[in-house]
Amino acid sequence: MDQAISFDHVTHTYQAKTPYAQDALNDVSVTIAENSFTAIIGHTGSGKSTLVQHINALLKPTQGTIKVHDKLITPTTTNKNLKEFRRHVGMVFQFPEKQLFEETVIKDIMFGPKNYGVSEADAKHAAVDAMNLVGLDQSLAEKSPFDLSGGQMRRVAIAGVLAMRPEILILDEPTAGLDPQGHKEMMTLAQRLHDHDQMTIILVTHQMDDVVNYASQVIVMDRGKIVKTGSPAQIFADPEWVYERQLNLPSSTEFAQRLIDAGIPMGKLPLTVNQLADRIAELVAKGDSMNE
Amino acid sequence: MNNFLFGRYLPGNSWIHQMSPQSKLTLSFYFVVVIFFANNLASYGALAALIIVVVLLSGVSITFFLKGIRPLIWLIIFTVSLQILFSAGGHVFWQWGPFSISDLSLINGGYIFIRFLLIIMISTVLTLTTTPLAIADGVQTVLKPLKKIHFPVDTLALMLSIALRFVPTLMDEMGTILNAQRSRGVDFGSGSLKHRVQAAVPLLVPLFTGAINHAENLSTAMEARGFSDSEHRSKYRVYRWQGKDTISWLAFLAVGGLVLWIRKH
Repeated sequence: MDQAISFDHVTHTYQAKTPYAQDALNDVSVTIAENSFTAIIGHTGSGKSTLVQHINALLKPTQGTIKVHDKLITPTTTNKNLKEFRRHVGMVFQFPEKQLFEETVIKDIMFGPKNYGVSEADAKHAAVDAMNLVGLDQSLAEKSPFDLSGGQMRRVAIAGVLAMRPEILILDEPTAGLDPQGHKEMMTLAQRLHDHDQMTIILVTHQMDDVVNYASQVIVMDRGKIVKTGSPAQIFADPEWVYERQLNLPSSTEFAQRLIDAGIPMGKLPLTVNQLADRIAELVAKGDSMNE
Repeated sequence: MNNFLFGRYLPGNSWIHQMSPQSKLTLSFYFVVVIFFANNLASYGALAALIIVVVLLSGVSITFFLKGIRPLIWLIIFTVSLQILFSAGGHVFWQWGPFSISDLSLINGGYIFIRFLLIIMISTVLTLTTTPLAIADGVQTVLKPLKKIHFPVDTLALMLSIALRFVPTLMDEMGTILNAQRSRGVDFGSGSLKHRVQAAVPLLVPLFTGAINHAENLSTAMEARGFSDSEHRSKYRVYRWQGKDTISWLAFLAVGGLVLWIRKH
């Protein structure tokens, strides 16, 4: 698979050269494959959000370079000519409902495409598609976004990003503050965009269950550094290590860990509910055959 | 914005950091008044010496200080050059149309420059060594006498401390909204004036609605915690007048007296 994004020794310091200077990223090198579903995890303040904001050049590295598709971002990259580039990288910020401002839902969703010079008719078409994609009823199109519920507002905001048809989609804690139903729908949407629309998805999250259920690659950050990359199975194979990074295990893995502590041989640690159920079924079957 | 020092707080534990905010506020005000009494080199020298001692006591590095006031230097140069070019009288060195430079205008310009510098220095020391909340408390203490004429001092202090508390929050939110709209293809700070004004709408509308939401949530939360009016409240942060405040005031009064005495000669 091709590389969609590669970080090469990237360092980022906020307010460099002042007494307020703060290192947010420290010599980060990582690659993210095209069409992959990558989760970025780490405790609060570990630099996850800073990292993803580099991908569409909202932040520029203090040192090092970043390559996104064919675009090279260096410390000297200026804000000019970034507009076209940003179209290919969709970014959904934390609590994206805060960015709504237009009079109607449809206008707000059309805002992104229109900024990139798409015609009124095409922008409307894209907006209707995006509304269907995020599961918003078309009857809401002419309503004010400020009259909607919190969950609906978030969908409008995400539709506004999807209407630009980005190739890379960055989701910064998209499920924060949503109810379980909204959470599931949001993650199903992300998965569908990945599987069906071939988007490269980058998910910043604290939900380890989402990581094991949806992501194929995991990047673990700790104090501005990338401390581990690998598949979810590789990351969660060592519970001690995970706890030391102030992270949690997925709930199935944690449950299995408790069973092991209670003396039940689980073998390899399961990640998802299905794996856990299979493992327990195996054990039960074995127990039955021993009793016979 | 990042290099703008004016109005920011730098944590520390120096002599000046430990002084009570009310004495720092009144001292700054007093100092500014004294600056306008100074009218010759010796008196300005005395004030400059005092401010250097103050900066040294604040524990903030002087180079950092000078870097911080650099954004204001253009304002100073502009005012000073107007003063030099347009004031009349004295021995004229150079003249061209309405512009003239004389020994008197040069001296006046120099004084204005020093005045500006001293005022900026003292107010920067104040804001660098005092947290915004402490400044709000200081204002409340200083304004207390106005209660006699039914001026709502406590309400004003409450509004001031809430406003100051929300400055960084709203700044953060503005940064996030700015970035969110940027990634939706808005070009801030480029293009024609009309384009720039239009680009501000996607920033301002969410910022205002966000502020209204904050206000609603905050007022609900305050009511839920038993806040009814700003009268009859006790205070958690109490800033007592200390020996440091008395010593500082004595030093400032001495320099003020010196300035008045030099002025006569």
